[in-house]
Amino acid sequence: MAVCIAVIAKENYPLYIRSVPTQNELKFHYTVHTSLDVVEEKISAVGKSLGDQRELYLGLLYPTEDYKVYGYVTNSKVKFVIVVDSSNTSLRDNEIRSMFRKLHNSFTDVMCNPFHSPGNTIQSKAFDGIVSGMMVQTASTV
Amino acid sequence: MAQCVQSVQEFVQDSFVPMVAVLCSEEAERVTRKNNLNFAELLRPFCRLTSEGHIRDPNNQVQVVKNLRICVNNVVTSPNTAFSPAQRRVLNEVVLSCQPQEGTATNVITAGDCDLNFSDHSLKASAPWYSAWKETLSEVSASKHYTATTPWFEAYRENFLQSMPASEHEFLNHYLACLLVVSSTETVPVEQFLKLSQEQHRIQHSGDYTNPKWFIPNTLKYYVLLHDMSEGGEQRADSVYEDMKQRYGHQGCYLLKMNSRTFSAEEDEQIPDPWSQYLHRNNLQSQVSAAATDRGPVSCQGSQGEASNSLESHPLQLDTASSSGSLHTLSAVNPELKKGARDPESLAGGAGSHGASLTLNDHDHIRQFIQEFTFRGLLPHIEKNIRQLNDQLVSRKGLSRSLFTATKKWFGGGKVPEKGISEPKSTCGLLYPPEAPELQIRKMADLCFLVQHYELAYSCYHTAKKDFLSDQAMLYAAGALEMAAVSAFLQAGAPRPYPAHYMDTAIQTYRDVCKNMVLAERCALLSAEILKSQVKYSDAATLLIKMTSEDSDLRSALLLEQAAHCFINMRNPMVRKFAFHMILAGHRFSKAGQRRHALRCYCQAMQVYKERGWSLAEDHINFTIGRQSFTLSHPENAVTAFRQILTNDSRQTATQQGAFLREYLYVYKSVVLGNEDRLPQLPLPCIHSSATRVYFGHERRLAEGEKQAATHVSLDQEYDQDLAAMWCHLEEQLVAAANRGIVPATFQPTQCCLNSQTDNLRFPLAVAEEPIIVEVTFRNPLKVPLALSNLSLLWRFTAEGATPSEEKTTEESAGEAVTNEEALTEGVSNDVVTTEIILEFLMGPEETKLARLRLLPHSTGQLNIVGVVYNLAAASSGEGALLLSTGQQALEVMVVRGRQDLKIQGPRLNQTKEDKMLVRHGQDRRLDPIITPPMPLMEVFFLQFPTALLCGEIRKAYVEFCNVSGGALCGLRVASTHPDFFTFGSQTTTPLTPVSPTSAENCSAYKTTATTRQPGSVASETLVSAKDFSQLSGVMEIPIEGGTLQPGESTQLPLWLRGPDQEGVHEINFLFYYESTTKGIKISHRVLRHTVFICASRSLSVQASACRSSVPPHHSVDEKGSGGTLVFVDVENINTSEAGVREFHIIQVSSSSRHWCLHKCINPANDKGGLHFPFYCFCRSSVGGAEKYTFADLNLGNERIISSSTPCGDFFFRGCRPPQPQRVDGTSSRTSSTNKSPASDISNIVRKCNELDLNIIVIWKAYVVEDNKQLILEGQLHVALQTIGKEASSLTPKEEAQEMALLKFKAEVPAPVALLSAELSQLIKTNLHYPETYTHPFVQESLCVVPVTLTLSNCSSAPVDVLIDLRHKSSSPESLEVHSSFTWVGQTQYKLQLKPLEVLCLTLRACFLQAGVYNLNTPRVFAKLAEQGAMCETSQQAASPALIIINSARVQPQGDVLGLLD
Repeated sequence: MAVCIAVIAKENYPLYIRSVPTQNELKFHYTVHTSLDVVEEKISAVGKSLGDQRELYLGLLYPTEDYKVYGYVTNSKVKFVIVVDSSNTSLRDNEIRSMFRKLHNSFTDVMCNPFHSPGNTIQSKAFDGIVSGMMVQTASTV
Repeated sequence: MAQCVQSVQEFVQDSFVPMVAVLCSEEAERVTRKNNLNFAELLRPFCRLTSEGHIRDPNNQVQVVKNLRICVNNVVTSPNTAFSPAQRRVLNEVVLSCQPQEGTATNVITAGDCDLNFSDHSLKASAPWYSAWKETLSEVSASKHYTATTPWFEAYRENFLQSMPASEHEFLNHYLACLLVVSSTETVPVEQFLKLSQEQHRIQHSGDYTNPKWFIPNTLKYYVLLHDMSEGGEQRADSVYEDMKQRYGHQGCYLLKMNSRTFSAEEDEQIPDPWSQYLHRNNLQSQVSAAATDRGPVSCQGSQGEASNSLESHPLQLDTASSSGSLHTLSAVNPELKKGARDPESLAGGAGSHGASLTLNDHDHIRQFIQEFTFRGLLPHIEKNIRQLNDQLVSRKGLSRSLFTATKKWFGGGKVPEKGISEPKSTCGLLYPPEAPELQIRKMADLCFLVQHYELAYSCYHTAKKDFLSDQAMLYAAGALEMAAVSAFLQAGAPRPYPAHYMDTAIQTYRDVCKNMVLAERCALLSAEILKSQVKYSDAATLLIKMTSEDSDLRSALLLEQAAHCFINMRNPMVRKFAFHMILAGHRFSKAGQRRHALRCYCQAMQVYKERGWSLAEDHINFTIGRQSFTLSHPENAVTAFRQILTNDSRQTATQQGAFLREYLYVYKSVVLGNEDRLPQLPLPCIHSSATRVYFGHERRLAEGEKQAATHVSLDQEYDQDLAAMWCHLEEQLVAAANRGIVPATFQPTQCCLNSQTDNLRFPLAVAEEPIIVEVTFRNPLKVPLALSNLSLLWRFTAEGATPSEEKTTEESAGEAVTNEEALTEGVSNDVVTTEIILEFLMGPEETKLARLRLLPHSTGQLNIVGVVYNLAAASSGEGALLLSTGQQALEVMVVRGRQDLKIQGPRLNQTKEDKMLVRHGQDRRLDPIITPPMPLMEVFFLQFPTALLCGEIRKAYVEFCNVSGGALCGLRVASTHPDFFTFGSQTTTPLTPVSPTSAENCSAYKTTATTRQPGSVASETLVSAKDFSQLSGVMEIPIEGGTLQPGESTQLPLWLRGPDQEGVHEINFLFYYESTTKGIKISHRVLRHTVFICASRSLSVQASACRSSVPPHHSVDEKGSGGTLVFVDVENINTSEAGVREFHIIQVSSSSRHWCLHKCINPANDKGGLHFPFYCFCRSSVGGAEKYTFADLNLGNERIISSSTPCGDFFFRGCRPPQPQRVDGTSSRTSSTNKSPASDISNIVRKCNELDLNIIVIWKAYVVEDNKQLILEGQLHVALQTIGKEASSLTPKEEAQEMALLKFKAEVPAPVALLSAELSQLIKTNLHYPETYTHPFVQESLCVVPVTLTLSNCSSAPVDVLIDLRHKSSSPESLEVHSSFTWVGQTQYKLQLKPLEVLCLTLRACFLQAGVYNLNTPRVFAKLAEQGAMCETSQQAASPALIIINSARVQPQGDVLGLLD
């Protein structure tokens, strides 16, 4: 399961970042931020070739020593980033894909909330719940 | 990527150059020492050859050698096989000393959505490193666009490559030749040459030294005779040279003449100093060799600094050279010597005096010498060796052909692997003996490489690589791979692509197999540079990042930084990756002790993260920047960085924030200690500037005992736009009243409390000696508590009254602003403005708290409240505040003093187009009050002021006016939103009530006279002019004695209150107005506000209606009037819910009218009746006159209340008067102006005739039980009867019904006719006058004719046509029956016209046939207005029957008649 899940706005500021509480949050912030470069690269590359028939899932952005970073970008250029522990080999591409899809659905629900003003950080229990479900369940989760 | 000043080819080429060793005799050393240089150093600037050399390859092809550089070094025999820690330190210093210059122009690189700033110092800062090649590179540097340069990296790289230890597996750093230098002053120079030659041989071949390494066994020895021109003996030198030529051949020796310059000429001529650029490096290298360890940080950045650095080590080298007497180890230098060498005086010794004895000619000589040596000695030597090696190889392979052609075959494969003879296996593979045949090919390749024959070099390297790989000699193989790749890259025509994988393999082998990071690093540096030149930035970055490791922080840092630069140079710049790697680099830099570089890296990374929402990362960077800046003694920057962390909305945890705060306070404190003159700004807590409120005046005292102070304005009240408008309106009324009805143009409403919504465009006026309270909103954004102490306002004061002349001359300070900034720091009290200090102000985590800060101005002038000043400390879990007070603990808790400015932005302007397009803000002068001279100040207290009243209840209260200031005040007035709520009484009618409130208890508020109750008594009347109650507008003058209140004086006045007519809670606002007796002050008047809330509960409801009486005029008592009216008064107790109220008594009914008055109570009998209380009152027209009101009192009890006096009359006028004048005016104007419209005309006439202007005052008493005490409450209710026939009530109709009315989209069709017919029926009043009983002797005469008078009176003011029809037309059977018995005789139809208000009597005759009771009211009267058509005709028939009794008269006595009637 993921160790960090982030939603990044079109303008590349974070809308939502959650990471496993046991680990250094700052590190994930840096990782997610740095991954945006790759996301942008991929978007520009895809945009040229296929036009509107774009695959939202961007696949593995880059592997680091400890983590694998996966990206997903919605049509409105909102980016989802999921960081997975490198040691976790059980996760297949398809599972990551479905995680992103779930995340996207939940995100859409958040956006549909008339009380949510777009551009603000996401504060939604439902979204939190979805994200928590995808996160690594650490021992400390009470 | 940082741009280099060299091209890649040049860089790679210069990384591997022929090495030449130098051996000097002592005497020669002495000669060169005159120039502050040793021989190697002397040659260094001239080591690059400007002309082309030529060499022939084994195939006799001529190869051009261009731009060759040789490296001349003293022979150093220290065993530095590995990269020593000292070398690392030197590298560290090189990097440290090369810093970007501050304040240079910055370069902006736009990458993605970020603009990155780099300080551009490419030319200036890196000048020392390359200006020797500047000529050759000038065109390159001119054409190149520098984006960002990292000279420290280049310096590092150059030093690194030069300090590479010579390795076993390659020959590149091995000495090819040796210069033997002997001075011509030696007694026997030739012997010296021999000695040196033997020395060289010993070093190379004795096996004592592993270092230095030599390329070829028979090293080229080049004999140099050094001749000092200043010492003369040129012939001798020439002759010795001749001798040498004989001995060594003219290609193997050289006579170098130098030092031709005398010291005396030194001043005249400025000779360029080419050494200065090299000596830093030189110095460092010598230091490496000397293993000099501790050096102070090199702070200087210019060449000057480096020159002085180099100076310090020169004596050292001289000493060692002389002490050892030969080329012995310099490492043997003892520490004392080193210390001595770095004495201050040696440091201070003449800088920049290199080559002092050399002329430009000498420079040329040296240059020629190098050229001669290279072309005549070195290159032929290399050429020879290449041939030899080639021959050897060819023979060894048993091939007849040259290697050059053979290599092609070898590439094809099928090469027989050659095994070394029992080489020992080591971790990094094989180790060949130096003369192993496998190494020969490598040696040849290296030679070819050095003379730029890259094609041949490549093939040799390639061959060697295969050999080594097959031998599993990994180190050798890696070396061969590396060089193969480099030579492939350097091949001019580029016949094959650059084999990047060779490099990767080489790096990997070096690093992983051989564990030789130094070699791996060299390889990576080369490879990265080459990749960059091929625009493979991504590969270069990967390569560089891979090279970062734990063993060297400096290298990791530099490489990470380069990698970061690679990311922004990519086609799609990866700005975030750049930033991230910059952070990593910064981290490594700081670990390596390179704080400046670390700081620079973080700052550059910050540009990417800044203000993009990545707060956690931003905080981290800011924190690091802060720390680094602080350690680098840039505390200002540190403070700025820390401030960023604290002011941004932080996502950090509380403990983290606490740490940040402590760190910030610590840094801040050190900054403050640095400069005492001006308090710096503090970031915490946040001040919500626009929420700042300013209050002028004293804070109100609360009610003291019985007294209830006027509420006025306080800071606790919320601002309300409507309320403010209401107060302003009241004040306007007051000012108008004070200025004879005109509001002056300069009028501005008094604003006691200023906030963001008030009008702050003008400077507010404050009064001297009255406090100014500023409420500042602090917000603590942190999750840790803050402790503020000694909080006070910061102000600037400009005194007023200083005349211009004074200002200009001596009293400069009078016009100048006085500020309390110094006073606060020094603790001096100020006599201009007293500043109150809040000693402690604690703020909880994330708390928003208000602080009220007070100033007391003492003199007039302009005050500017600038900001707040306070001590800030981190409150540690609540008890921090306690610790603060004691001095000792205050040290432990970090407390800093600082200020924060209050900058208030006015509201955004939205008037003009520009305003709308831009964001412009108006002025806000809230904090800039003008202090005016002292003004009188009044306090108002209320005594016995009720909070709850019954509707209409009259209560007496007292009001006390108190002048609490030092000035007299006058012109007291009051305005209210409910002027009918209270009265001070009118002067003429004020009853003599006790003035003091204590004696007035249980005393009726009314003025009474005792009368006995007489049922049916006639009302007593009083005639009162309305002018006696003249204060009819909302403004009332307060009748205080003398009109002025002297200082300290206070006066009490009675005040009558009447409960509002409507139930509910009423907010009643009073605005008291007063002026100073002295005129011409800026503040013309002052006001005092008071707001009370009165809860009114229901009492009685009075309903009254009037109808025409049918009593004929002559029946009325007063003959003057034209007629009477019946008034019915119904009183209903609607106070059902109140348990306290026992019962109501109606004690008096009074009337007040200009034309009418109550006359008599007809039936006051059952006054104890239930809910309804009917009255029958006669009413008559009085002779009131236009402005006089007649008050008629009909008392039902024992005492009469004089309704015309205070308070009854007052409240009557207050309650009823306002609508009346308006109504009268309205009708009069209507009649005059709307003549044309007939319908309205009629209605007017009709209305007028129905008009009744009578006001009924019902005075009641209520018995109330409250707290087991019976109270008697009094009250009065007013009913205004406007029209006859309409019911009027004391309760105003509810408004809600109107509000809730449905919207009608179609205009309602008016029904004027119906309305008119109803009204017209009142036009003519008919009265039948006849005898009640009439006795007629029917026996004698059968017809009885009774005269009946019909009185017609025209009520209207218009002529009316009247038609009277006496004929019976009734169809009802009963009336037929009745009426048939009598008939009208004589004229039965009349047509008359009645003039306005005319009364006409018609005499009719009724004829009766028999005795009985008859209804005479059968005449039908039709009336119409004279001018109108028939449509207006209406029946005027009165409904009531008019009965007449007709008796039959007989001869018999009366009693029989009565009997008959039964």
